[in-house]
Amino acid sequence: MKAKDFDLKFDEGEDVTAYLDISRARRPGMLRIVLTFLLLVLPVPAHAMHIAEGILPLPWAVAWFAVAAPFVALGVRRLNALSREDLSIKPLIGLMAAVVFIISCMPIPVPTAGTCSHPCGTGIAAILVGPLLSILISAVALLIQALFLAHGGLSTLGADIVSMGVVGSFAGWFAFRGMRAMGAGLGLAGFAAGLATDWATYLTTSVELASGIRGDAPFLPLVGRIVLAFIPTQLPLGLLEGAMTAGMVLLLYRKRPDLLVRMKVISQQEGVAHA
Amino acid sequence: MRTIIHHQDATHLLTRLDARVKLLCALALLVMVLSYRGLAFPLLVALLGTGLCLGLGVRVRLLLARFAQPLFIVAMVLLLKLFTGGHDPLFSCTVAGLEITGYGDGLREGMQIAARIVGAVSVVSLVGFSTTFTETMAALAWLRVPRGLIEVALFAWRYLFVLYEDAMVVYHAQRNRLGYAGYRRGLSSFGTLTGALVIKAFDNSQTITTAMVQRGYDGTMPLMRHKPFRLAEVAAALLVVAGLGVLWRI
Repeated sequence: MKAKDFDLKFDEGEDVTAYLDISRARRPGMLRIVLTFLLLVLPVPAHAMHIAEGILPLPWAVAWFAVAAPFVALGVRRLNALSREDLSIKPLIGLMAAVVFIISCMPIPVPTAGTCSHPCGTGIAAILVGPLLSILISAVALLIQALFLAHGGLSTLGADIVSMGVVGSFAGWFAFRGMRAMGAGLGLAGFAAGLATDWATYLTTSVELASGIRGDAPFLPLVGRIVLAFIPTQLPLGLLEGAMTAGMVLLLYRKRPDLLVRMKVISQQEGVAHA
Repeated sequence: MRTIIHHQDATHLLTRLDARVKLLCALALLVMVLSYRGLAFPLLVALLGTGLCLGLGVRVRLLLARFAQPLFIVAMVLLLKLFTGGHDPLFSCTVAGLEITGYGDGLREGMQIAARIVGAVSVVSLVGFSTTFTETMAALAWLRVPRGLIEVALFAWRYLFVLYEDAMVVYHAQRNRLGYAGYRRGLSSFGTLTGALVIKAFDNSQTITTAMVQRGYDGTMPLMRHKPFRLAEVAAALLVVAGLGVLWRI
């Protein structure tokens, strides 16, 4: 029977149970019930990518600022150089920062942890504008989040820029370019970039956290424990971010290949061939 | 996103205070909180900070929303330090055949970090609630933060809410059409949403530039001009920081 006929019979008030194969109906499994329960009762956002304000002692906070500063300076230099040729570059980077901010505020349910987490978004930025400008974008997004959402912080801004901006951007950019050089399609390369960005950011965050809260405990075992603690959230989230990044790159290729050509993500020939 | 917006009481003393003075005070307090070994000083700063936030007219619900994520981290750090970060056993219990030991020194260290987090978050929240974004950016420019970074931040802030509204329109349209029914479809919808945002960002950047060039934009954004420092403000700020500095030393 067609769905249209079934709907018609139902709308006319007929008894439609005779058309249902109840013997094949299944109760939801226990695992699904538990996962749904966890998602309902534990909707706490686990913003594991950002190190909270105050968590790092002063020497470590200063040290991470010192590591981040040259990369931010290189980003600003690149921005100024590009801005001399094209006046639209600063508004573009500003709007991309707003996009990354919005993406990194969107909660994604992570079933294995029974909680919500959020994607980084820096992988997308690194693919489109390159790693140096992507560092600037994440620095701006992190600054706004620190000041107005208490995600991350001012004292941990350096550490957060290093993990999400520097390591995340370079990991995503190298993964994308590396996969493309090996002949992978845009979707697969986008997936690899999203995955690499997320997992590299999370690993760096673990190292930074361990350095900050170590006390007298040995460093490497603590890093291992923090990595283990974050695995239920970040392992699936990396896959989700990879899929999301791939979807985004493929959408741009389908709808606006000219943008990908302009940002040198695909060659002129590829753009023309697609058109 | 809703927790970003707070309508400031323009008549309040803290709101009228020079943003540079507020930022410098906040940085001094952050240094003291981060370098303090103990619980008393960071908790005192937290009490002061949250009290002043409430005095500014910030709703308790908004304040709690702001503290939700740091408090989650506090809970995680406390658990991690209690069960893995010490040598001096405090208690021991068996759960599902596994013996779990809590350590007293680990708990003390965890509480110290927790106090630091709460103190530092309250300082930064107070700055966020009492200062507008443009004032903060102008103050950061005065502190010699690179101009390029400030300009990008100003562009981002200006168009953040426009893009967020666009994102919500697309999100609700997708949701009404069962775009988030199931993981696979949800992921595909989210990818489309971010792609649509990126396209909007590119297109808007072109129209914004054209409009700005017609109004004389030459690649640099004008920043808010600061009024000269007021002696009374600076003196009061110094007094507060010095007072807290004395407490920090004790």
